[in-house]
Amino acid sequence: MNSMITSTIGVASAFIIVFLIRKDRLHVRYGVWWFCVAIAFIVFGLFPTIFDRIATALGIASGPLLALTLGLTTLFLKVLTVNITQSRLESRMIRLVQRIAILEADLKACQDRAGNEESIEQDRDP
Amino acid sequence: MLKAPTWNTAEALVVIPAFNEEQDLGGVIRQIKELNEFDVLVVNDGSTDRTAEVACDAQATVLNLSQQLGAWGALQTGLRYALRNGYKYVLTMDADGQHEAVWIWEMFQPVISGDADVSIGSCVRRGSRARKLAWVLLKAASGLTMQDITSGFRVYNERAIRVLSGRQATLLDYQDVGVLVQLNNAGLRLTDVPVTMLPRSSGTSRVYHSWLVVASYMFQTLLLGISKRKVRNRDSKHSPSSRQER
Repeated sequence: MNSMITSTIGVASAFIIVFLIRKDRLHVRYGVWWFCVAIAFIVFGLFPTIFDRIATALGIASGPLLALTLGLTTLFLKVLTVNITQSRLESRMIRLVQRIAILEADLKACQDRAGNEESIEQDRDP
Repeated sequence: MLKAPTWNTAEALVVIPAFNEEQDLGGVIRQIKELNEFDVLVVNDGSTDRTAEVACDAQATVLNLSQQLGAWGALQTGLRYALRNGYKYVLTMDADGQHEAVWIWEMFQPVISGDADVSIGSCVRRGSRARKLAWVLLKAASGLTMQDITSGFRVYNERAIRVLSGRQATLLDYQDVGVLVQLNNAGLRLTDVPVTMLPRSSGTSRVYHSWLVVASYMFQTLLLGISKRKVRNRDSKHSPSSRQER
């Protein structure tokens, strides 16, 4: 029963991932990772003894404990990479906002200069 | 206190980051302009009051940020503007009137003479006991030996402007420990210039207005100081910290 729930979660996750990519709500680059997670859910749901075998081979008493540890570690690494990406995007956003402000000031200075030159020309040729 | 300039002051830009400072900003710019016709740049960090108009009326150039970037984000915008427009020196001041324009020549002196790359207006008397304890902790964590590590009254030369305009300095939040450690790690010479500072006449500090914000600031800055602190064995080649102490 438990393995059926896991497989169902995997299938549902796979569908959600495809739906999000289709609707442009998730970049395909990140979709690949989550799709692999969904496939892993399906495989381990259908063949729950895999973890028990790996656990026995590694000398770990409980298969579910190994699954939980691996799951938590993977999740930790994923969240960390999300924060790294977020920091990079924040840095890019800050530099972009700064650049826009500088370019706006340049544009205003150019417009002011053009306005002054125009008024000088108008004064010369009334 | 006042000294006549013996260098081309057109090469210097005064950068003032401002967030809702309509009350004091005009007076601050006027004091600077009375001292010398410096180019003054106000970086308006998403103010909701008349800060930008006040700055324009006082003959300052204004950069309006489309998103609020915080104190350091605004200041770095000013440094990038200075680099783009060929300024060789940047003086940074607060918009709230705490920094007195009369100290500007003293602030420039060590940088113009080539004795230092960065001068820091130092006023250790202004700190409360809590602030002084914070300084001790932050210095211990970062390895900095400057007297007033949180002062925003500073002069940077072109080399320092280049270091601080880079991407590596973009994710900093404040012009304090992170900035000084970065300058220190780049082998730049930092020096303290004793100055007096006035209490804020209006508004509240961006950091010291809530204990929760102070605690968050302290944790972040301590971690930043420890993470970016210069590794001891690399100090043997350049030793700006020893120059600081002198």
